[in-house]
Amino acid sequence: MKLNTGERWDLIDRISKETVTFGAYRHTLKDAIGELTVKPMTGIPVAIAVMYGFWSVFGSFAGFFTDGFFVRLFDAYWLPWLQEVFPGQGEWLYAIMVDTGGIESGEFVLSSNCLESFGVLTSGLFVAIGVVLPAIIIFYLMLALLEDIGYMPRLAVLLDTVLHRVGLHGYAIVPTILSLGCNVPGVTATRILETKKQRFIMMTLLAIFIPCGAQIGIMQDVVPDLMGWILLYLIIGYFVFGYILNKIVPGKAPEFLIDVPPYRRPLLSNIGKKVGGRVRGFFVVAIPFVLLGCAIVGVLYQLGVIQFLGDTLAPVFVGWFGVPKETAGPLIAAFLRKDLAVAQLSAITMTPYQMITAVVLVSIYFPCVATFAMMLKEGWKELIGSLAVLAVVVFTYGGLIHLIGILLGVA
Amino acid sequence: MAEQSAGGAIYFAILGIVTTAFGLADLLVTASGSEFAYGGILEIPGDIFRGGWGGIILLFAGIFYLSGIRNFDDIHQFAKVVMASILIWVVAGCDIFAMITESIPSSSEETGPWFNTLPDFIAAYAPPYAPAVLLLPFSLVVIYYIRKRASGEEGSGNSS
Repeated sequence: MKLNTGERWDLIDRISKETVTFGAYRHTLKDAIGELTVKPMTGIPVAIAVMYGFWSVFGSFAGFFTDGFFVRLFDAYWLPWLQEVFPGQGEWLYAIMVDTGGIESGEFVLSSNCLESFGVLTSGLFVAIGVVLPAIIIFYLMLALLEDIGYMPRLAVLLDTVLHRVGLHGYAIVPTILSLGCNVPGVTATRILETKKQRFIMMTLLAIFIPCGAQIGIMQDVVPDLMGWILLYLIIGYFVFGYILNKIVPGKAPEFLIDVPPYRRPLLSNIGKKVGGRVRGFFVVAIPFVLLGCAIVGVLYQLGVIQFLGDTLAPVFVGWFGVPKETAGPLIAAFLRKDLAVAQLSAITMTPYQMITAVVLVSIYFPCVATFAMMLKEGWKELIGSLAVLAVVVFTYGGLIHLIGILLGVA
Repeated sequence: MAEQSAGGAIYFAILGIVTTAFGLADLLVTASGSEFAYGGILEIPGDIFRGGWGGIILLFAGIFYLSGIRNFDDIHQFAKVVMASILIWVVAGCDIFAMITESIPSSSEETGPWFNTLPDFIAAYAPPYAPAVLLLPFSLVVIYYIRKRASGEEGSGNSS
């Protein structure tokens, strides 16, 4: 039997009359709230509140464990104990594993806290367990809550228009936010974007402008008052350079279609699985890099490589970026551990604006080794392209921040 | 029912005005770079995060209350009032969570006790409070209206 178009529609009508119940749909309160969180006029204030809650809980939780307990545990008990029992004080192995110390009046002096000792067993463990772990746990817990409640798709819809300006679409918020925990899963999550252009832009932006949880944790600990300004500079850079990349990178940036689910009560088992899996992943991928990075930085310091590079590049750092000569070493070491580099910067005397510039430079300077390896896995051409963009961004944006400081009279 | 709705509209109108005023005060105090305290019960933080960012959210909450009170029975309008309360709960919840996390560990440096003493722990919850915390109990009234609306819908058999 062959039906023409009209007959097909008649058949569809008959079937739907028998199977579908028609009636007026009355919006529930949940529906109405769901709509409010998607419409820009009401959705943006809600997004601002959600982000406020996210960072406030993040800061309180991480501060509770790090400042409340881990700082004391590591500085008052672990560091002095290790300094005493580890053999070979002042020798290179002692410097790499426990404490690089310092020289005062010709005598070797031990560090007073784990942020200044730069040993694998002291700074490395303190950063990994005392600073990063609480930050990562609360970050992924909050993220899992937002996902399970059903807020993330709404945030994607809300930010879709803005993200189209940088060649991305609403779903780009997923790798962006994941990268705030760790850049490694963020790079993997770029695969949800459809075109090569989108993936390249996303990977480049997150490698440059998104600080990872380890870095945010340490910033929260050592420069809490300046965090707002540092993040502001990074957000501005994300959009400005994203806009430029969108204009110069060939390729398509298609629209996206998303099914926005209703708000749901989060399930504890779901959240537990998500947080557990992500924290485990972080432990496997990132923690070895923290410790290894710390060891390599220690070796390079002992061999005088970082000192040499720092001295060689000092004119660029002082003249172009407007930061003190001493920051050259930490900025070089940032390739291996950005979090440790921020900790090193905190020990250098400089103005608040120089500190903002230096920490922004650490963030945009180079992806950490783990992210670097992950980007290489996604394709060497993309990696080289991203690094080329990165080099340009570091010099132009670093110089621009210095220029802004000069114009404002604070640099 | 209509009288009760009118009562709700008036209540949330007043709450909206107070919330808007608190939001503006938060922003002004933050802009001035100092803290503000009043009567030993109210303290407006002057930092950019709690005062500035939090103040913006309170301001939005106030605007949501005021825009939601017209045609209060309409579900979309009522949703704005509920959303305003949720915004206050977010800010107040964060303030209270910060109080809890700050009250537990000892404030003494180095090798002192790990946990706070009981008097210091209790003192951490004493006033003055931030504006959102003061607004919190008043914003909870919205739960009564949510329940009333839900029971009304069940009664009319139209729970969608």
